[in-house]
Amino acid sequence: MIIALALRNLKLNKFRTILSMIGIVIGVFAICSMGMVSAGFTDELDNMISDTADTLTLSPLGEKVVGGATAVGFSEKDVRNIELATKSVTKEYSLIPYYTTYKPVTIGKEMGTVSVYGLESNDMGPLVTLVSGTWPKGGTNVIVGEQFAEDNDLRIGSRISFLGVNGQEITCRVVGLMENTGMLTFGISTDNSVLGTTEWYSSIVGNNHGLYNNIIIKAADPTKLAAIDEAIDKKMNGKPDKDSDDTVSILNSYELMDIFDEMMNMSSIFTTIISAISLLVAAVAITNVMLMSVKERTREVGILRSIGTYRSQILQMFLYEAGLIGLIGSIIGAIISLIIAPIFMIIMGLTFSAVFSISVLLYIPLGIAVGLVVCLASGLYPAWKAANLNPVEAMSTD
Amino acid sequence: MDDAPVVELIDVSKVYQMKAGDVYALNHVNFSVKRGEFVAIMGPSGSGKSTLMNMIECLDVPTSGTIKINGVSTTDMTDDELTEYRLNTIGFIFQKFNLISLLTAYENVEYPLILKYGQRDHSERVKKLLTMVGFTEDRMQHTPYELSGGQQQRVSIARALANDPTFLLCDEPTGNLDSKMSTQIMEILSDLHKQGRTLVMVTHNPETAEYADRVIIIRDGEIVGEE
Repeated sequence: MIIALALRNLKLNKFRTILSMIGIVIGVFAICSMGMVSAGFTDELDNMISDTADTLTLSPLGEKVVGGATAVGFSEKDVRNIELATKSVTKEYSLIPYYTTYKPVTIGKEMGTVSVYGLESNDMGPLVTLVSGTWPKGGTNVIVGEQFAEDNDLRIGSRISFLGVNGQEITCRVVGLMENTGMLTFGISTDNSVLGTTEWYSSIVGNNHGLYNNIIIKAADPTKLAAIDEAIDKKMNGKPDKDSDDTVSILNSYELMDIFDEMMNMSSIFTTIISAISLLVAAVAITNVMLMSVKERTREVGILRSIGTYRSQILQMFLYEAGLIGLIGSIIGAIISLIIAPIFMIIMGLTFSAVFSISVLLYIPLGIAVGLVVCLASGLYPAWKAANLNPVEAMSTD
Repeated sequence: MDDAPVVELIDVSKVYQMKAGDVYALNHVNFSVKRGEFVAIMGPSGSGKSTLMNMIECLDVPTSGTIKINGVSTTDMTDDELTEYRLNTIGFIFQKFNLISLLTAYENVEYPLILKYGQRDHSERVKKLLTMVGFTEDRMQHTPYELSGGQQQRVSIARALANDPTFLLCDEPTGNLDSKMSTQIMEILSDLHKQGRTLVMVTHNPETAEYADRVIIIRDGEIVGEE
């Protein structure tokens, strides 16, 4: 009956109840959605880090003059020096120099832009996973990312065209599909990519004056990566305290993780502040609504007390009201988050499994719990006030 | 314990401290009500009737003196103990009916039963009580706003009887009713008295007081006579 009274009072003041609920809906939506997005990105990066824990990505720094023109990239000499530095640490490694750029592509009548990669045939295996078809051995055969194939309705045997270096159209045949890596990945992101041999790449892009765009080093023993990193830095980047003579930028997964952790921490602080402000506003609104409710129902409380209702039951009645506002508002906020946050995360390039992982979905019950606790805490003072009304004075109120 | 008066006030005073000095709302009041009696407390406005009523209701405590209900002093009881007394021992009938506006007539009568016995099927008792006070079944699901004053007071009487209290405490039960309805309500109360119920009624209306066995006259916080 106490619950029925609380429920009926909320129904009687529907508009006021809905207004006070909006605050908690926004607060819980902020907690759930921001928490889910943050957890989703962290999960995705964790997976990426574990997948690429054996990888160093090298990018060139500074311009080189080749045949009278300036260009940026790794020369054959750079590759040899980097290999020497790597060998000084371990004998079990793969060193993969590759070319890459963005290139307009024509598929049927549609045009688009795609990432193109040029690698030696025997370097492809260690870098990407083939889900179907065969590796391109030469000519105009290429492999494409699964996502790219799906988006453009491509299958093995399909044709795509690029404009070659001499302006002629070069039609390429898809011979295999690469496993998706997601947009957040080291080195090669296969999702929107076409990969072929270095000869193929030279025919459609050129060979960047013989300079590779990037080098990936994979060590059989990931614990050796730090030492390799140090050896390359020592050999290629001149004096340790002078950045201007550096020729190589070395990115390892752990450093990226640190950078990302820092970003996520900042984002987490921001999220907490936004959520706290939303919930504070909601808490003030609910306290206000509950105080109004107590004031309007003073006489009713007096009657209830006079016919044998305990103080604790009056307290419960008002807490039920606050709790119901909190529970319904929190559930609505959580449902909205459950719809909007995954859409946002998928648009941002997260995989389906990352979007619906346990650590992401945990923010739903967490958000509901926080919303409920905030509402109950907001209702505590008004409920206490109602429970401690003097029944005689309360009954004489009109 | 059965021989003890149902209500006993021993030298009860209620003093309000005002800037102008102490005001005695009740001044050394002594009286008792025996089991099965119908006692009316009569007096003009400001005579101390309401204060006396609040004391017997266990809603207020005296500044000095002792109030005994069923031979047990309520002076040192905790709030929960006093609430339990109100729930189990006293049935209230108010001038303004004081029904809970969010509940139907049926639920208003059911409410004290749920407080005492918990949530279970009380329909037989609720319907019996409402029928006894002349309330028709087709109006049982109506809220107080949909009922006339007389109907509300009938529901109020049924609610007061729900937990089979030791005595009924009536505060100007006909104060908000026309004369025809007042007579009907007083007839119901009179019938309850004839069935052996103990009634204490506060009124300023001599016609209403005539239904009582005994009338205690109160003025300026003191008992000035008994008829």
